[in-house]
Amino acid sequence: MENNNKADVLNQGVIIFVFLAVLTALEFFVAIEIGAIVLLIIMAIVKVGLVIYYYMHITRLNEDSGDDKHSLKYKTATNRLGLWLFLLSDSFVFGGLLVSRFYLLSLTRPPLNQTLGLIVTSVLLLSSFFMNRAESSMEYGDRKGFTASIIITLILGIGFIAGVLGVEWPSALAEGITPSSNTAGAIFFMMTGMHALHVLTGLIFLSVVLRNGRRGLYSAEKHWAVEAAAVYWHFVDVVWIFFYPALYLIGKLI
Amino acid sequence: MRHFVIVGVLIAVLTPLIYLGVRAVNLMPIEASIQAIPVDWMWNMDMGPIAFLFALIMVPLVYSLIVFRRRKGDTGDAEHVEGNTTLEITWTVIPLMIVIVYAYLGAYTLGETRVVDPNALVINVTAHQWDWSFDYPEGFTSNELHLPINKQVVLKMQSLDVIHSFWVPEFRIKQDVVPGHVTEYRITPDLLGAYTVRCAELCGVRHAYMERPVIVTSQSDYDSWVQQQATAAAALVAKGGPDAGKALVAQNGCAACHSIDGSKLVGPTWRGLFGSQVKLTNGKVVTADEAYLIESIAKPSAKVVDGFPDGVMPIFNLTDSQINNIVSYIETLK
Amino acid sequence: MKKFFSSALAKGLIWQLFGWIIGAVFVTLIRLLMGLKVFDIFFFTEPAWVFGGFIGVLFFIGGSGIVNDWFKWAKGEETSDHHEDPDGWEKYINVSLDHKVIGIQYTITSLFLLVVGGSFALIFRTELAQPGLQFLTLQWYNTLMSLHGIVMIIGILVGVAGVINYLVPLLIGAQDMAFPRLNAFSYWIAVPGIVLLLSSLALGGFDTGWTGYPPLSARAPVGMQMFFLGVFTAGWSSILGGLNLLATTVRMRAKGMVAFRMPILVWAAIATSIITLTATQSIGLSFQLVMFQRLFGMGFFDSAKGGDPILFQHLFWFYSHPAVYVFVLPGLGVISELIPVFVRKPLYGYRWIAMSSLGIALVGFLVWAHHMFASGMNQYLQVPFMYSTLLVAVPTGVKFFSWIATIWKGKIETPTPMLFVVGGIVVFLIGGLSGPPNATVATDLHLTDTYFIVGHFHDTIFGGYVFPFFAAIYYWFPKATGRRMKESLGKIHFWLMTPAFLTLTFLMMRVGMLGMRRRIADYDPALGFAGYHLVMTIAGFLIALSILIFFINFFSSIKNGEKVIGNLWNSRSPEWQVPSPMPVHNYDRPFEVIGEPYDYGLAGSEYIKFTKGK
Repeated sequence: MENNNKADVLNQGVIIFVFLAVLTALEFFVAIEIGAIVLLIIMAIVKVGLVIYYYMHITRLNEDSGDDKHSLKYKTATNRLGLWLFLLSDSFVFGGLLVSRFYLLSLTRPPLNQTLGLIVTSVLLLSSFFMNRAESSMEYGDRKGFTASIIITLILGIGFIAGVLGVEWPSALAEGITPSSNTAGAIFFMMTGMHALHVLTGLIFLSVVLRNGRRGLYSAEKHWAVEAAAVYWHFVDVVWIFFYPALYLIGKLI
Repeated sequence: MRHFVIVGVLIAVLTPLIYLGVRAVNLMPIEASIQAIPVDWMWNMDMGPIAFLFALIMVPLVYSLIVFRRRKGDTGDAEHVEGNTTLEITWTVIPLMIVIVYAYLGAYTLGETRVVDPNALVINVTAHQWDWSFDYPEGFTSNELHLPINKQVVLKMQSLDVIHSFWVPEFRIKQDVVPGHVTEYRITPDLLGAYTVRCAELCGVRHAYMERPVIVTSQSDYDSWVQQQATAAAALVAKGGPDAGKALVAQNGCAACHSIDGSKLVGPTWRGLFGSQVKLTNGKVVTADEAYLIESIAKPSAKVVDGFPDGVMPIFNLTDSQINNIVSYIETLK
Repeated sequence: MKKFFSSALAKGLIWQLFGWIIGAVFVTLIRLLMGLKVFDIFFFTEPAWVFGGFIGVLFFIGGSGIVNDWFKWAKGEETSDHHEDPDGWEKYINVSLDHKVIGIQYTITSLFLLVVGGSFALIFRTELAQPGLQFLTLQWYNTLMSLHGIVMIIGILVGVAGVINYLVPLLIGAQDMAFPRLNAFSYWIAVPGIVLLLSSLALGGFDTGWTGYPPLSARAPVGMQMFFLGVFTAGWSSILGGLNLLATTVRMRAKGMVAFRMPILVWAAIATSIITLTATQSIGLSFQLVMFQRLFGMGFFDSAKGGDPILFQHLFWFYSHPAVYVFVLPGLGVISELIPVFVRKPLYGYRWIAMSSLGIALVGFLVWAHHMFASGMNQYLQVPFMYSTLLVAVPTGVKFFSWIATIWKGKIETPTPMLFVVGGIVVFLIGGLSGPPNATVATDLHLTDTYFIVGHFHDTIFGGYVFPFFAAIYYWFPKATGRRMKESLGKIHFWLMTPAFLTLTFLMMRVGMLGMRRRIADYDPALGFAGYHLVMTIAGFLIALSILIFFINFFSSIKNGEKVIGNLWNSRSPEWQVPSPMPVHNYDRPFEVIGEPYDYGLAGSEYIKFTKGK
């Protein structure tokens, strides 16, 4: 799907976000009204597919980067492969956590606050939208657009952390869902904690990229750090696309 | 061509030699259970391909090292042979077929070891650091596992603390005992004798010594032993007091951690314990009176003695009167 | 002396100690404010030691300077592409971006760990020589036995990294790895991990074996946490090293080096790296969960809280089985690489051998529960895992048959590297053949947790790693140093080690089948094993002696070995087409691949041609 101008690219970002938002709402509805786990899994996979293809641009891995190993283009492509390999590795941690969740809790789930869950999920999804917008802006040399979008991404990211660590965790603790009460509590805190750790490192990455961006280090031709930060950020969102239903939507209330 | 013939003959000769040689050495302990039969059968079946494959690789290897050694003065390379797709497919597919056959045999023998007798004798086994105890349906506990010959018994096993494993080499089968699970061990002993069950999963410091006798007797001997044990146990329960307590202490393996002669093991010694002043990990000093002893058995983490680890002593399945009897026994130890 | 104290190694270690104390004091202060216990049997409390250990690792990283360039990039500063290394030995204790230096750092570290782990073994083997406890306490036995396992495992991972890092760029015609700074980081992160691991000796040790199963590991002394944290830290070396290798082989190959024209060792490295990149995270997670269970009461494996100890075993073995293929695939690749050189014949069925490495890696991901046949896991898992485990024999068989077919009708010479290759084949064969009884559930229920298993894995590890590792060192030592090791001592090393080792493992398998359990400090004399144990101990000491001879040879040859600057082995491989020692930038003129790597016996065939490019 080759897009020729910036407007098209930004619009595509919006369209994908709309799809993601609709799917999230559908997910919520299916979970509450129907409870069909298969549907939830399918929707999660579709969402992940959209993010990986349209936001993370996985097909860039296949692009021809020429023969000159010393060229910027070649080195960037090598960096890109390295980043994706890292994400492949990291997904094994999250995969292991999902396995542990279903092994220990099977098809039950802890009594978490659904409203809070939906809010933080939406915040993270929206942050991915703005991250994509920031990267797309930079691809077209639009530094102002980049800066604005990345600042919003940061704010939303901080909002996610505040929502999880600042609101959800105390709320869970107040409900008696604690790390040491039982496995439901332990799993909840470990999964959200590991994810939050990755969001935090993502925020640090974004801050560095914002700072360097404002100092004019990036251009349309040379902005690997922006792409890397974006791909990493979307990865963290992808993880949450699986973690959200796993923690909030799948299974009978304990 | 002649190389192939020589090697072929050597392999054909060596294979049965190795196989018979391995069979001639008694590699396995004696078979003392019905379940051991399919296990040993499977092992012997494995020896066939193992002997063959060993010969198949070693003979050409050694032969080549001798016969195809570079001759003095010969500086050239060997023949340029890259491969042979048919051969490579063959030596992929044939082993694959052998693997499938052997996996099938493996599944079959596993099934043989798992045959269920619905009338099996049920004995409950408790494993804990570092002892075994056996609860019989007739209502007594023993530290010896007596089994009647030729009758399937199903051991229902629980662990009070960490993972242990029940193993009698002569029976072959091994089964882990896992906290939070009740694991089953089905065995039909078919040889009279005295064996030993030794823990086969590293379970802490005294893992090496976690063992108890397993005695296989005739059905009538077994019945009289059971009768005798049940009567003695009932008598002790009726009598109560230090004698009953002493028996309970033996059954529950307290000696693995608590000495009666004053030596410091994993847990505090019981010698002179009753009535003494005890310093706890929180610095407080308390008197080791009856209430203290009862609490320390029922809730081991409530008052931990200074210098000893918390979280090691398990919570035993003891009734209040059993605990009282144990305490009355401890009181007698000066 | 001054050179040592200004090195990255010294600075890193000093900063690690400093950070450890700061972290521990920080936690202690917080506990003080919260009214919690602040002192314990090892002075600091466990949370203080753990957090301190973690901060110590961070301080090591900062203090050693490994991340300096990355911090510069974060600040928006440029860094130079080329870092000059100092001339002398001090380059090996400093941060170098040169894969050859890093490869040697890894290799020396692995030899160090081999000695440490081996010494632990000699100590407890001496204790085991006779029944009864002669000089070790039960605690010390369990700790030394556990550390022997994990120190050797880390030593192997690091040794594998050494072989791969040194050789792969040379084999594919690259100047260096794709990410040189990441490469340096991958080496150096292992060092604080090893420090943490060994610190367990001072913090009560641990009594669980290297497998660290809870609930036992949840109640073991503080040393257990040092084990978990140390392995977790060192695991990053494996993960990032694997990442680097994969990126390098995909992106940095010389012109004309299509997939099936790569040297076979590169295929082995690829298969190995796929495993280290991904599976390692699983053991990291399993250890993290136990650490958190200990620190915060999170009951993942605590049945009182609804947890299950068997979950740990699944997560643990999901890595630890593929890990054994990490141990052996590179060594099997070394065997495949060296045989053609010493028999002057093409590698028979090269493509199939290449594919078999990937096949082993893939199937290796599907077999983990064969370590759990007696564990009480769901019984329906037993048969499928038996099928998948037996299946590994197929690609492994492909290797063996191909090696024999390569050697057959070759023109064979057996200098020391080839001796170790042949020894590796024989020992790995025995190890591999002792596999199927373990793969088969019924027989495994007798064999698991006995010395039979110990014999099986020592055979496979020595055959797949130790022997080929020595082969690789004897073979490539001249390439790295421009001198060769002494043949006579090499032969003594081989002929002393091999029979001793075979005796050791045959006896292990024998006593195991007869009832000798694993991981026991003492055994019943009535079992009749005392004689076997005495012989096993003697064999262990003979192996140690042979390795001592190796070390004498190794270190003296660096300065005094016979000089060799050309293609000593007459190999077709690229690295031997340039003088020894290897030039700093590898290939001053790049080469192009114009033929097959193993076309020995094909007159006039060339593998590579140097071009005039830059």
